[in-house]
Amino acid sequence: MIQTVNLTKEFNGFKAVDNLNLQVEKGDIYGFLGPNGAGKTTTIMMILGLIPPTSGKIFLLGEELRPNNVAIKRRVGVVSENQYLYKEMTAEEYLTFFGELYEVPNVQKRIEELLEAVGLWGDRNKKLGAYSKGMQQKLAFARALLHDPELLILDEPVANLDPTSIKQIRDLIEEENRKGRTVFVSSHILSEVERLCKKVAIINRGRLLAEDTMDNIKRRLTDTVRLEIELSQNAESLSSELSTLPFVKGSTVDGNKLEVHLQTDRDYRLDLSRFLYEKGFLVLAMKTKEMSLEEAFITITQQNISLLAREEGKA
Amino acid sequence: MRAVRVMQTLFKRDFLYSLYSFGYYVALFASFIVSSFILKNFLDSIGEEDILVSAYPLNYPLYITLIIISLYLVIISGVSISREREQGTLEVLFYGPVTPGSFLWGKYLKDLCLGMVALGFTAVYFYFVSLLTNLGFTLGLVKALIMSIFLLSCVVSFGLFVSSFTGRIRSSVLALVAILGAFLAIQLGYNALLGFEKESLSVPMLYVRQTMSYVFRGISWVSPFAYLNRGLDSVVLESPLLYVANIGYAVVYSLVFMFLSVYVMGKKGVKA
Ligand SMILES: Nc1ncnc2c1ncn2[C@@H]1O[C@H](COP(=O)(O)OP(=O)(O)OP(=O)(O)O)[C@@H](O)[C@H]1O
Ligand SMILES: [Mg+2]
Repeated sequence: MIQTVNLTKEFNGFKAVDNLNLQVEKGDIYGFLGPNGAGKTTTIMMILGLIPPTSGKIFLLGEELRPNNVAIKRRVGVVSENQYLYKEMTAEEYLTFFGELYEVPNVQKRIEELLEAVGLWGDRNKKLGAYSKGMQQKLAFARALLHDPELLILDEPVANLDPTSIKQIRDLIEEENRKGRTVFVSSHILSEVERLCKKVAIINRGRLLAEDTMDNIKRRLTDTVRLEIELSQNAESLSSELSTLPFVKGSTVDGNKLEVHLQTDRDYRLDLSRFLYEKGFLVLAMKTKEMSLEEAFITITQQNISLLAREEGKA
Repeated sequence: MRAVRVMQTLFKRDFLYSLYSFGYYVALFASFIVSSFILKNFLDSIGEEDILVSAYPLNYPLYITLIIISLYLVIISGVSISREREQGTLEVLFYGPVTPGSFLWGKYLKDLCLGMVALGFTAVYFYFVSLLTNLGFTLGLVKALIMSIFLLSCVVSFGLFVSSFTGRIRSSVLALVAILGAFLAIQLGYNALLGFEKESLSVPMLYVRQTMSYVFRGISWVSPFAYLNRGLDSVVLESPLLYVANIGYAVVYSLVFMFLSVYVMGKKGVKA
């Protein structure tokens, strides 16, 4: 649905987007992650044809992007960072106007449906100048869905919303995705993306650091697997013996609870249980401690860029 | 044509909301007051001398009304793109099926229609004036009103052209003031130099005068207000050929400037 090839954007010599290669497949909910100033909005603006790339190519819905290719834009719905509504209009007038622009059939019914879905039906006759930021964002959402687009491009869609509204929008995104819409969503609120997205790209300073499924990203970005193990008896004596194992990078013991950090080059769980068994311990429970995307994100974007460079070197 | 439909939609929204705007009626009202004032002076002078000195007594007040309407329109069209750039609303339109072409022609139509509505009010105003003063609502006045539509078209396309370059309301207004001010200054300067005898000017001044005359001629094809002057003159000169030619010039001027505006807007983009 979206493909960028060596996409680059320079502002007076400053590379806001640097050789970006993204691949969004049909049906994805694709998370586009990065800290403030990473180049997310710039990338999205280029994908929408609103700012010209310095170099590189963009394919949108299977066609190479050309300026003013209106036929393609009619198949895309967009919610941007800022809402830029017409303050003198009411929600209903606003959507009617866009419905006419996009030639939406049965537009009044569709408007009612969408305003209900985002919870603004009661405020449909209020002037948009009097809308709160969150309400504006929800209205922009309704506008983006109005013409039944195949692809939704969302730039920080939940940034101004309260928790209830976030859930509302998240449910809506998921529902729209189930109906077959592809969703491309940029964010720095990671917990939201984590719950939504199957695939994510992480960028920093315009460069792609990783593009993979959520699970793979987490795996790639931790150089240790953390196992929590519950044993049949007190394990205080085990600590020093564990450190002799080549794949164990560290361990802590607390009564019969054991936390072991393992190398990630392969699955060592079997080796570990065998070792414990040989030492006379029985494993009652073993659990992999998940690294949240939040942690992975911080790992990548701040502390461990060197780690990623190493990863890229290997790849 | 889907692009035409897009243009119509943009036009409709814009036009309706502009008709509600306060400034529009202020400009109209101001223009009527000024021309009433001029008319009164004119009638007073007839009273004193007991003769009618002009075959087109209402044309001068019409000219003044037109100038005021034009100034209003050139500012309105001059900020129309930059305002939407500044407010960001332009960007949202371009997520969808809007292109520089459909956007600009929509704006053009809107501003021209605003101008035509103003001309309609002006016609009604002059009709009442003619009833009250016995100055005839002549065919010449009708011809001048029709010509005015084309002249306002020049004004609007010029304003849009300036707006296509600018990203903010402030810079549009400054650009308009600077450009129109420069036009006016050159025209005044040239007229002043023409007032001297050729023999009384030094060689460098003659050279300046010659250069000014070229610049002046250039401006008379670029400035929409020059078209306004020529167009209304052609009515008074009673030459059908000149009348039609001036309409033709105005149409060509509008098309050229609209074409340039679309081009510049495409290059400059939707952001401030
Ligand atoms: N028009 C511009 N001129 C110069 N620099 C720009 C321009 N637009 C963006 N930038 C720079 O490009 C970089 C990327 O900006 P961008 O808005 O794409 O970041 P972002 O990832 O969307 O950030 P955020 O999460 O804050 O929205 C920033 O350093 C920004 O200063
Ligand atoms: Mg951004």
